This record gives sequence, structure tokens and C-alpha cells, in this order.
Amino acid sequence: MLRFVGQRFALSVPVVLSVVSLIFFAIRVLPGDPAQAALGENASRSAVEALRTRLGLDAPLPYQYARFLADLVHGDLGRSMITSTPVSDQVAYNLPFTLELTIFALAIGVVVGIPLGVVTAMRRNSLADVFGRIASLAGLCVPAFFLGILLILLFGVQLKLLPTIGGGSADAPADMLAHLVLPGLTLGLVMVASMTRLTRAAMLNVIGQEYVRTARAKGMREHAVVIVHALRPALLPIVSLTGVWAVAMVGDSVTTEVVFSRPGLGKMMVGAMLQRDYTSLQSVMVIYTLFVVGLNLVTEIAYGWVDPRVRG
Amino acid sequence: MEVVAARRSSDARRMWARGTDGSGAAAGGFVQAAQFCELECEYCVVSPVGWPQDAAVRLISYLTGMLGLLFAGACVPVNPLAIASEGSTTVTSQTITASTSGGVLRVGQAAADLGTLDPHYASGTQDRALVDMVFNGLLRYKPGDVTTFEPDLATSLPNFTTTADGKQAWTFNLRKGVMCQPTDGVPAYELTSDDVVYSLQKAANKTTSAYSSDYAGMTFSSSDQYTVTITLDTPLSTALFYPRVANYSGGYIMCARPAQKLGSDGLKTHPVGTGPFMFKDYSPGEKVDLVANPAYFRGRPQLDGIEYRYMADLNSRELGLRSGQLDLIYGQQDDTWIDQLAGAPNIKVDVFGVGEVSTIYFNTAKPPFDNLQVRQAVASALNRDEFLALYGNKVAQKVFSPVPQQFMSGGLTQQELAANFVDFQYDPARAQQLLADAGFPNGFEFSAVTSEMPAYRVIYESMQSQLARIGIRMNLSVVDHATMHDQIRKDVNPLVVYVAFRPTPDAYLTQFFHSDAIVVTGKNPNTNFAHYDRVDSEIDGARGEADPVAQTNLWKEAQLRALEDVVAYPIQYTNQVYARSTNVDYGHDLTSAIQLYPVIDERTTISK
Repeated sequence: MLRFVGQRFALSVPVVLSVVSLIFFAIRVLPGDPAQAALGENASRSAVEALRTRLGLDAPLPYQYARFLADLVHGDLGRSMITSTPVSDQVAYNLPFTLELTIFALAIGVVVGIPLGVVTAMRRNSLADVFGRIASLAGLCVPAFFLGILLILLFGVQLKLLPTIGGGSADAPADMLAHLVLPGLTLGLVMVASMTRLTRAAMLNVIGQEYVRTARAKGMREHAVVIVHALRPALLPIVSLTGVWAVAMVGDSVTTEVVFSRPGLGKMMVGAMLQRDYTSLQSVMVIYTLFVVGLNLVTEIAYGWVDPRVRG
Repeated sequence: MEVVAARRSSDARRMWARGTDGSGAAAGGFVQAAQFCELECEYCVVSPVGWPQDAAVRLISYLTGMLGLLFAGACVPVNPLAIASEGSTTVTSQTITASTSGGVLRVGQAAADLGTLDPHYASGTQDRALVDMVFNGLLRYKPGDVTTFEPDLATSLPNFTTTADGKQAWTFNLRKGVMCQPTDGVPAYELTSDDVVYSLQKAANKTTSAYSSDYAGMTFSSSDQYTVTITLDTPLSTALFYPRVANYSGGYIMCARPAQKLGSDGLKTHPVGTGPFMFKDYSPGEKVDLVANPAYFRGRPQLDGIEYRYMADLNSRELGLRSGQLDLIYGQQDDTWIDQLAGAPNIKVDVFGVGEVSTIYFNTAKPPFDNLQVRQAVASALNRDEFLALYGNKVAQKVFSPVPQQFMSGGLTQQELAANFVDFQYDPARAQQLLADAGFPNGFEFSAVTSEMPAYRVIYESMQSQLARIGIRMNLSVVDHATMHDQIRKDVNPLVVYVAFRPTPDAYLTQFFHSDAIVVTGKNPNTNFAHYDRVDSEIDGARGEADPVAQTNLWKEAQLRALEDVVAYPIQYTNQVYARSTNVDYGHDLTSAIQLYPVIDERTTISK
């Protein structure tokens, strides 16, 4: 298993390096002058030129690239070109908000989606199954940002039950949780829909197998048959899908954070993009890359753990 | 600056609470900051932690909250909305809220983040609004009315004198007892003429200010602690001088010691002035928190603080206001939106000046717009009513001269322009004829870039469809706003739409019509997109003209000539639109605001 983990990890390194390089050059291709953006449209030409020099933007691109990589290896994300604050501080401020949102949404997806899938599979063609299938199809059809606005309208504007702006205060746990519910549901419900359908399909594949029939014939209780003999083999695609969703949610969190004006890496990235803040933008994108590569790595390792054949 | 802004401000509060050197032994710090003791004690509870600890605290809080809700929360009725409205500020601000009755005004601004809070660079509305709450000028525009100046840090409106060597001198007597707000390692202290001179010198320095050109040829001196004299190489009329020393752009007065302590980078996110509100926290990409300045020279503000959120999405701001989680939002410049929101319970929409003027500038250095008849044809083909319909007449009004006469003298009325046949009436038949005479009977094709911002995009798109009727095909490329600004300054567009407000006719004319300001090739390239150079003498002459009537006439002459040459087509001005809870009272009648936001000051209140 350790060898398998090592191999996967080694394969991730060139992926990260390639994507990071791509990010660096793609951002430089963007039109617009970050120095002008930083100083505002009224700044004099000389002030803009002075800032370009100070930010190192007038240096040759290969030099900028080498410096970027060297700083990255040392864990230095640089300073925001707009506010001059260390980007690592901005990331440190925003990262927990994105993490808790993603984890919360994943938890909703897994905790609600899998049991729902199992129930609809075990009660195939019942009213619960039909309802579950329709609801999950509807869930898949609704974009996260639209669902977010609907939730805000219902729980924020009409019922005035839950806060819809910001991320809450770390000093007030209940406040923090209250701020997490609607964005978490926005992201999580879409995953619930997908997870329900996949679990149902996987379970239907498995419950007709002979070993399941044998387990029942041996007199095992139904819930033991379902959980021990049917669900475990069905978990393989579910684990894969959870990994895929974890990656997708990192992306979806961008729109959710904007809709709920919630701090987070997504909102930070959009802001950096609008302000031509190269340093912040490339840093957030690097963090996202590490996120996605890391999540894929974890998924692959989990897959190898659930199914030893994968370890080859 | 090795720590996050929020942490730095926490440290600042500790330093402030302990004294000047942070040792806890500097009694002088306590004495000097005695007026702030009410806040000091509350700030003492904020513990300075690094970001790993911040993250850990957040995680632990989260787990504690989960457990709390699981085991006890179900038994305790919780109103999360109440938490949202009160608790969205930090524990510190909750303490402040509890100690007074003013409440925290929650503002939703249309921006992704701050740009810079250094007042001498701030140019976006999201920055100007915050800067205005923290800083003062020597003079100020009367809150809610830009047509009137009042003394601010000065005790009276000055008149100029002429020095022995023939220069113009303006002398200001400063208020006594105005306190500079305390910050990291710099306790509160009284503002003196040294601070004012420092600030004006900074504003006049092109390496520390975006507005240095406004102060060219000025020298600043102090004869005593409370007297500042500004001497001008070239005289300026009152109408042009007052805006340079009022609460706008370079006119904001910065306190020398905190400015020097914070440095140019620190000032971007940590404003320190003398105004009604003081900087408290900056949460990157999320919000800036301000607290009331208890030592404000006009009296402690009624509000306890401001929670100023960056919310680029209009829907989020609107829903925040409707749900009662925001008190004031930047709205949409659209009559439909205004009517829709004005009908909502407990919400009031404010539509006010000053309006930003939308003008089309023709690049006379590029064919085919180097041809006067082509420019005349385009001007005749455009219909202001069609542009106006995009916004509605609550928001937009027609403008006929580059300087909007609705907001300042020096602009021309439609009647004045019609008398000179340059009011550009819609006449498509004439447009067709002019086009044919210019050698383009079948029209022509050109390309232009536009910003994705609706204020620009809709005007370009409307123009595109209007010009198509006379055979002119305009290919539009939509780019983001920063890119558009970059591209038009590189002379990419043969025709440029620009939406802007400038505080004086001189600023409008100098920046858009003086040859020095020609993009790319001018001596001081700015926004003369037309490459126009025929009104320099009028603009320069008006700038030095002390007689207001003669000055106004020169401005009008310059505009008449520019319009006769059809280098610009003024379309409309668009007012500012903000929506607020009916609980919010600005404390003044709002008709116009130079900073393009409804001024929030010591008189602003919010009733819960």
C-alpha cells in the first residue's frame, strides 16, 4: 500500500508543476496593466511606471517565472499587488471558510445521499423510490447559484430564519454554523441528488448477485445483508464519485461564495481577477490546483484501499 | 508588515491601549489617548493571534458549535438572523454596540474588494466612500449638497491675498483640538499645521499621489501651529481652488505621524485620519469595519460603527437589504429596479447627483473619424432619447455640453447650444447625406472595445444599433473593465465612450480636451481620446482667470469650439442610486454628493 501511495504521490508532482506553470503564463497573457489597476485610472504615467518597476513587472518573463517558482518552493506566495498585504495572510483568512463550506457540503451529500440511494434501491418502484428519483433529477438540473438565490429568498427574505451574508464570527460557533447552513445546502443538495442516483444504481447492480441471495438464505438480517454484503461492493463507484464531487465543489464554491458574499478562496479569486492582482490570483489558483490534485490523490488512495486489485 | 491586516489592527489596539511604545509603561500614551478610553478597554479583550492559530480557533469553534447544537442547541431557541445582524461583527464590536445605542450601519458596496484607502490614490467609489468617513479636508462639500463649501479642518473659508512677488496666497486658520486618530504605535495627537503641510506636500508629489497635477506650482508653509499658507505660482479662481483643498482626492488631510509609520503600503489598507469614523479591521475580500471616533471634533457620531461589505453581486446586495441584514446598498442605475425596490416594505431608494456624464469622443487622428462630415453624420444619427430609455428618466438626464450645466457653472444649456447649432439633434436623413458627402454612401465598418460594465456596454450596444441604420457597422469586443481602460489609453478605439464625473469644469476640459492630455502622445497623457488641440488657450486662460464670469465664458467658448468640431458627443448624466432601510437617516438632505455615495457622518442614525 505504501508503494502505491508513493507512486501516486510522485505522479502528482509533474502535474502540479505543469499546472502551476500554465497558471503563471496564462495570467500574464491577460490584457490590462496591474500597476494601472492598482493605482487607479487617475494615476500618472510615471507613478504607474514606478510601480511596475517596484513590482518587478518590467523584468523579463523568464526571470519573473523563475522567481515565482523559487518563492513558491519556499512557501512565499508574495504580496497582493493591490493592497500590498501578504497573500499568505489573505489565503489563511479565506481558506478556512472554503474548507468548512466544502466539507459541510460533502457531508450533506454523503450523509443524506447514500442512505437515500440505499432506501430507493431497496424499495424499488415504490412511491418513495419514484419520489426520490424525481427529486434527485430535479436536484441535478438546478445550478448551484440559482438554488442559492432560491434558498436566500425563502430562508432569508421570506422566513427570516437564517443569515445569508458573510461567514459568521469564529468567536460565535452558533453564528458560524448558522452562516454555513444555506451555502452548505446550496452545494450539498446538488451532490445529494447525484449521490442518491449513483448509490441506487450501484445497489441495484449488487443486490441481485448470488452472494447477496446466499447471505439472505443463510438467515442474515436484512440490514446486515444490505450494509455488509451489498453496500460495501457498491461503495467503489461511490468513493470515486465523492472524490469527483469534492473537486467539483471546490469549483462550485466560487459561485456560492459570491452569491452568499461569503469569504473564501473563490470570492478572493474573483476579486483578484477583477482587480488584475496577479500575485493573489496566481496564488489562489495554485492553492486550488493543490486542492484538486490532493483530493484526487486521496480518492485514488481510498480506491486502492477499498479495492486491493487497483494497487496492482 | 508581516501579519494580516486584521491581526495588525488587533496589535494596534493593544499598542494603543498600552501606550505609545507598547511597553505598558507609557503613561503618556494613556493620557494622550484618554478620550478613547471607552474603546481602549473593549479592544483589550482582542487577543493577538497568528493565522495558524486563527484557523485553529475557527476549527475548534466549529467543532464546539456542532457539539453545542447537538447536545444543547436543540433545547435553546436561537434566532440566527439576530445573530447575523448583531453577531456578524466581531465580539469587540458587539461590546461596543452594547455600550451605546447607535448601532452599526451595514453597507453593501458594489465591489469585489478595496482598491486603496490611501486618500491620495483612492479613485473608485468603494474607496472614496470609506476614505470620506475617515478623513477631513481643510474645507468640505456640504454633506448632501455639492454646490456649497463649508469650513472643515479650517475655521473659515479663506480669501486669497497677493504676495509682494505677485503670487496668490491662501491662508487657512486651523481648528484647535482636532485629534488624529490613534494607530499602531502612534497614539492620538492634535492635528497641527505640520500635518496639513505634510499631507498637501504628499498630495502634490507624483510618487505619492495620483492627483499631483492638481497641486502643480503650489508651495505649502506654516507660520504657526494653526496657520497654513498655500502659495500659487499661477493664480486660481475660488471655484478652482476650493475643490483642491476640500474633502476629495488630494484634498483629504492625512496625519503625518501615522502616515509615516504605516508607509505607503500600510496606508492602502489602514486609513488614519481625523474623521468621524476610525479604521478597525480589514477582512480581505469581505469587509472593512469602522468604529465611531469618540474624539471627533464635531462630536461623537451617533452610529457606533460601519460594517462596509464588498458585495459585487447586485442580487446578493438586494436580498441582503430585503432580509434586513444590510441597511444601505449600492443599487442599479435603472428605473425598473428603482420602482421595484421602492415598492418593497421598509425600503427607500435614493437617486441623487452628482451624475456621471457619458460622452462619446471621436478620435480625430484616425480615419474615418478624422473627417468632420463623418463625425457630423454620426452625431446626427444618434438619438439621446434612445440612450436615455436604457436607464429611464429617474436615473438619467440629457446632457448637451461636456461640462454638465446641471451641476456646475461653465456648462451650456441646450438653448445656448441650439443657438450655435451644436445641440446635435437627431436627424437620420441629414446623417445619410453627410455620410454620402464624406465619400461613404454605403457607410463603413470599424471595431471598438467596450467594458463589460453595463454603464459602458449598453451605450456601445445602443450606439451600434443606431449607427447600423445609416450603414455604419460597429464591431464590438466586450472586455473586462480594467482591460477597456488599458486599451482606450493605448488609442485602440476610433471612438471612445467615457463615463466620468470631474469636480470642476477645468478638470473636465483639461483632461478631455487639452493637448497635453492626448492619449499616448500628449505631454501628460490622460483622457484626451479625441486628439484635440484647438482649445488649449481657452482652458489655460480660464484656469488663471480670477473673474468668475470671464472664466465661465472661456469655458463655454472652449466647449462651443469643441462641439463645432464635433470631437465629442455628450449624451447624458446618470445619477447615483442607493437603497436603504427606512430606519436609516443620513442626518442631512441628500441632493448630491461629490464622492458618489450618500455621505455618512456623525449625524447619521439608524433606528432599530
